[in-house]
Order: sequence, then structure tokens, then C-alpha cells
Amino acid sequence: MSDAPANLIGPIHLAAATIHRRVVEMGADIARDYRDGDLLLVSVLKGAIVFVADLARAIDLPLELDFMAITSYQQDSGSSDHPAIRLLKDLERPLRGRDVLVVEDIIDTGLTLHYILRTLALREPRSLEVCTLLDRPYRRLVDIDVRYVGFTVPDDFFVGYGFDYRQLHRNRPDLSLLHI
Amino acid sequence: MTEDTPTFAEDTPAFAYYRGARPPRFATQTELDAAKILDYYRVPWEYEPRTFILASDIAGNILEAFTPDFYLPDLDLYLEVTQMKQSLVTTKNRKVRRLREQYPDIRIKLLYKNDFIQLAKKYDLAPPR
Repeated sequence: MSDAPANLIGPIHLAAATIHRRVVEMGADIARDYRDGDLLLVSVLKGAIVFVADLARAIDLPLELDFMAITSYQQDSGSSDHPAIRLLKDLERPLRGRDVLVVEDIIDTGLTLHYILRTLALREPRSLEVCTLLDRPYRRLVDIDVRYVGFTVPDDFFVGYGFDYRQLHRNRPDLSLLHI
Repeated sequence: MTEDTPTFAEDTPAFAYYRGARPPRFATQTELDAAKILDYYRVPWEYEPRTFILASDIAGNILEAFTPDFYLPDLDLYLEVTQMKQSLVTTKNRKVRRLREQYPDIRIKLLYKNDFIQLAKKYDLAPPR
């Protein structure tokens, strides 16, 4: 792939097979917990798209998928006098009375997820839980009860399996360290 | 602006989620960056709203006190930020430890230089010097 300097992409941290095994386990847990529910997976574009595609297929239940997109501090901080996180794409499905499971790629400070959960809670779902592929808890500012965690990772950055470097490499099957 | 160049009130941008009565007077770039991040994520914040007495003599004179940089009322969390490395913040660590001991109901988190290096990468901020 042409792209980032090769030396930015480090060794594989989680091989595709390792991720697959864990995602299957998580899917089984979710299927067990929601077998009597009305499950709607809500994923945040774009980082979680690969994870949610695999996770949804590992959940042996009828479920719905919906997607939202939000602004990022990186792209937005210089855009106005009062930049603030906001929805770029809203959900298409109503949440009232549904069992909503937010599927994230990674939780770091918890600030983004805090905003998402506050926003979704206003729509009165029956339940609102969180599933994340990666948990990086070292700078957690908002204590959020995360029901499903794939892997707790070291204090590093990653690329592949949905994670990008300047919008590239999301399609790499493994999760590799990114040296930035 | 550097760690040694305070940001005074008249230089400070307006913040939508600041909940204090008077404009904050940030002491460091790190504090300003932290305020910008909190504001961006719509987290209400106050700047140095409370000083905790850590030690006093028998006459009631304050011997040691600690004023955390931020208070986040919605999260009921105090936040202290520093550009110093974790290994060099002995005094600050001790104050945070004493605060936790003496005010067990108070929740406080301390972010070090390395935390801000990582946050700078994530949020595209100028890295701390």
C-alpha cells in the first residue's frame, strides 16, 4: 500500500485470528444477554465499521444496525470561535423502547462516548450499553460502565482493523502499532 | 505561549461551557489546552473553584493547601494537569495523595506530561515542551 512512511507502522499487536476469536466470544455474550431483547447496534463512523461488521455477524440474533458520525476535535477545533462536538450524521432509526448497544472502536478519555451516551439517552431507549473493541483506560476522565470490552491495550496508537492513519489502512486485517 | 507564559483573562477565548463567575486566568498552555478540550466535548467546567486545606497548625493557620486546576460539576470530578513528567511531580503527587486521604469523597485525576503528549497526538495540539 502506498501511504504513510513504512516506519510508522509497527509490529502487529493483535493478529486477525486473535481478533476474530475474541469478537466471536463477544458476539456469543451479547446474544445470550439480549436473547429476549430488541437489539439495535449503534456504531460510530468510521473507526468501528470493521468491528461492528464482524460483531454483528457473530451475534446469533435478529438485530438492527444503525450508524452515526460526529465531528472530531482534530478536524474541528479551528473551524469557529466556539467549536463543539456535534453530529455529522444522525441515526435513522428511533431508539425509544429499544435495547441500544453502542459499538465503539476504542475508549480513551471517554469524552466522545460521554457525549454520545448523553445524546442517545435523551431518546429514551429501554437500555443503553457500550461495547468496545479496545479499551485504553490510562487517561479516562469520564467513568463509563462499559459492558463489553474486547481487549485492554497499552498506551499506544494503532492502525488496521478499522483504525486509520490519515484515513488510510483501515482495511488492514491485523491491528498494528502506529509510531507517531 | 509556553509553560512559563501565563494566559491572562483578557487573552483567554470565550468558553461556552465554563461555569465560573469570572474569566479564568490560566497559568499554562496545558491548562488552556485542557479547557479547550473540555469545552469542545461540551463538558461544563470550573477553573480553580476550591482550595483544599491539607495541613494547618493548632492556631488554625494554613500550612499546606492544594487548588486543583479544574472542577467538572457534571462529573463531580476535580482535574489537575501538569506538563511535568510523572517522575518529577513528587510534590504534586503527594498533595493529591493527601487530598484523597483527607477528603475521601472528593474525586480527582492528575494528568502528567506524557498524558498530554498522547493527547496532543490524538487532538493535534502543540506537544508540551
